[in-house]
Amino acid sequence: MTGLSVGEKLFIQGGIAQDLRTDGRKRLTYRPIYVETGVIPQANGSARVRLGGTDVIASVKAEIGRPSPMQPDKGKVAIYVSCSPTAAPMFEGRGDEELSAELSIALQRCLLGGKSGAGAGIDLSSLVVVEGKVCWDLYIDGLVVSSDGNLLDALGAAVKAALSNTGIPRVQVAADTTGEDQPEVDISDEEFLQFDTSNLPVIVTLTKVGRHYIVDATSEEESQMSSAVSISINRRGHTCGLSKRGGAGLDPSVILDMISVAKHVSEQLMNKLDSEISAAEAIEDDS
Amino acid sequence: MAGKASATPATYSPSPATRKGKPTIYKDGDRDWVRPDGRGFQQCRPAFFRTGAVNAASGSAYAEIGNTQVIVSVFGPRESKKAMMYSDVGRLNCNVSCTTFSTPIRGQDFDQGSDHKEYSSMLHKALEGAIILESFPKTTVDVFALVLESGGSDLPVIISCASLALADAGIMMYDLVASVSMSSLGSDLVIDPISEEESYQDGSLIISCMPSRYEVTQLTITGEWSTNKINEAMQVCLDACGKLGKIMRSCLKEATSATSE
Amino acid sequence: MGLSNVVGDLSLEMEVDAFRRLFPLRFYERHLSESIRPDGRTLKSARDTSVALGAVASADGSALTKIGSTTMLAAAKMEVMTPSADAPDEGSIDCCFVAVEYYMPSICSPLVRPGRPAEIAPVISKQLYDTILSSGMIDLKELSLISGKAAWMVYLDIYCLDADGALFDAALLSAVAAFSHLRFPVVSLNDEGRLVMVPEEGNGDKSGKEVVNKEKRKLSLSSPPFSLTCALHKNYILADPTSEEEAVMETFVTVVLNSSGHLVSLYKPGGPVLTQTSVIQDCIALTRQRMKEVQEILDESISGMEID
Repeated sequence: MTGLSVGEKLFIQGGIAQDLRTDGRKRLTYRPIYVETGVIPQANGSARVRLGGTDVIASVKAEIGRPSPMQPDKGKVAIYVSCSPTAAPMFEGRGDEELSAELSIALQRCLLGGKSGAGAGIDLSSLVVVEGKVCWDLYIDGLVVSSDGNLLDALGAAVKAALSNTGIPRVQVAADTTGEDQPEVDISDEEFLQFDTSNLPVIVTLTKVGRHYIVDATSEEESQMSSAVSISINRRGHTCGLSKRGGAGLDPSVILDMISVAKHVSEQLMNKLDSEISAAEAIEDDS
Repeated sequence: MAGKASATPATYSPSPATRKGKPTIYKDGDRDWVRPDGRGFQQCRPAFFRTGAVNAASGSAYAEIGNTQVIVSVFGPRESKKAMMYSDVGRLNCNVSCTTFSTPIRGQDFDQGSDHKEYSSMLHKALEGAIILESFPKTTVDVFALVLESGGSDLPVIISCASLALADAGIMMYDLVASVSMSSLGSDLVIDPISEEESYQDGSLIISCMPSRYEVTQLTITGEWSTNKINEAMQVCLDACGKLGKIMRSCLKEATSATSE
Repeated sequence: MGLSNVVGDLSLEMEVDAFRRLFPLRFYERHLSESIRPDGRTLKSARDTSVALGAVASADGSALTKIGSTTMLAAAKMEVMTPSADAPDEGSIDCCFVAVEYYMPSICSPLVRPGRPAEIAPVISKQLYDTILSSGMIDLKELSLISGKAAWMVYLDIYCLDADGALFDAALLSAVAAFSHLRFPVVSLNDEGRLVMVPEEGNGDKSGKEVVNKEKRKLSLSSPPFSLTCALHKNYILADPTSEEEAVMETFVTVVLNSSGHLVSLYKPGGPVLTQTSVIQDCIALTRQRMKEVQEILDESISGMEID
């Protein structure tokens, strides 16, 4: 974000220092969150999340695939984010590649846990149909439609909402298959299994401006940041992933302080998000 | 190559099959398991650094920590690409690639090309906070890393090695960047994991810091961690970074005293 | 004429380094007329050469070679493959058991950038492949394990770590060194009739599986090839040019001889025509001398390894 005058910059910084931001929020207050589910009928699950001027869509598509030979008891999940040129002119052509890759990696880190699969928000072993032979491949795609800061938190919330909106068809495996062959599967188009999202973390990004840090920064505020830490936290209050952006170094004690603040904020965000998701699903069911 | 292309479909690599069903190296609850290379949980592998490995570059460094071998070359500050807009601070461009023999199975990383995009962007984030970009406006510094052999904790070794190469090239920095990683295996934390440990890890923590300023330039956590565990892991890693920083510093001093003689 | 006067005047006042960068050709021609090169070598001598075997632990054969500051790392890996039906014992041209690839990663030179590979790399790759195969250094029959069923496929990857001229010479030397360091992994037949690697510790005997290749553990290289690149400029012949010299000189000749002294290949990439055939003969004579030097260095490092 360029084109801010010195006065505007000082206004933003001064407001944050006095705990009264330019849009009237306190440092640790989110903008109102609006959740809409089932926005893409072709997908197995989808959701749109709006956070102030930031608008993102996430969709989940499930396909039958083969587990990798290294991990025969696990399904596969691919997470990919793209930024639409409608969000900012600089995303046109290949301009979004860098940001898209960064967001994709950050989401993967937050949702998929460690290499052994421990601590993953999505339980990969629940995606297996026949061990070593058939599993579900989940393709989670995020799309940034409009960008006004805090993309990662919004994407995290959208993925969470999309997954709780996801129905995975029940699969019948033909019994008479012998050892080597790929078993035949029958995918039901009526019965769906609900996806368990209780373990999914939310992502809280703390942006450091001056000596203070704020949640849910707008892009104007992000232009003034020295560094930002994105922390994903699950319901048990455990950290499921952390990444840092921005050049300036941070004192280790500040990072620990940020983690505890994020933990506190995440509880409110998670409750707010859950109630929004259930409200959105109620509306979808009515219509 | 014509010969290679026609031959590839017929080959098979014997290694992956042996991996399946191999027991994990530790058992949860067994407090006395031993790391594959016999190190203590909080003991790093011996580190070796040397600057000036590549003459064609403005600065370079070679790092060997355990089986992990890395070369980093720094070019520039030189003219930015034509398409780049004017900038009153310098640019940093990072790229990490791997040799075909860096992993036990030849060409294992090749489905994503030999360039490692994720490492490249993490290397960039770890270094940019330490470099005084204002000191070379309008120009670019290129940091290229080649992993000769991957033996675990590759990214931290690349980061530490790259900061030495930058120092060797005479790029102005606030401090060297030392980086160390930690794996969480069950209830245990092991520092500076080797590839085998990394493949079983439940979570990882990579910290890059400027030891003399005691500032963290980059921190990445994957997997589920309680706050106490993060606290403990960070403390151990920061201590290790401090020690690593001293080794790097002495390497630089040796290099300068050798040339002045 | 005016220009040369200006340059002549300037050269008195200018610092040597600045003159070298601004007028590289004149800088070199001044040196050549004195029969000396900027790095202190005579025209016909090559740079210090070293060979270190076994630089890559995970490879079956590897070598790090340096000619001056030009550095090459070569590593060979072996895999088991099924040979084609028409040539059960050896590779024909279209199905060969040896693959050679030469890489120039962006660390090696300021001219190579990521996403923009060096043009010269595939050229050298092809030259190396042709040279290694046509020299007959490797008896392809030695790569056969079970006739018609299984054979070794050798992947040789050569990385240029530091590019400072004479790239082909250094790459070929590293390839020969890596081949002479190559040890076949031990393989045995498993229950399904496929060949599997036996771990080094020798557990293979305990499991009762038969080791297929007990005796044959290394390649016998017959008269390996060595090369020398000479830069030609006017009447001067410069052996083993640096990258700076390569940029200034008119043309080059790369001569490859095998260790029996027979000519394997000769390569001249365009440039001005050679008016005298004696120049070629001089180059070959230089290569013959150089070959003895290099072979001694290689033999030394091989015998050094065998003592360990």
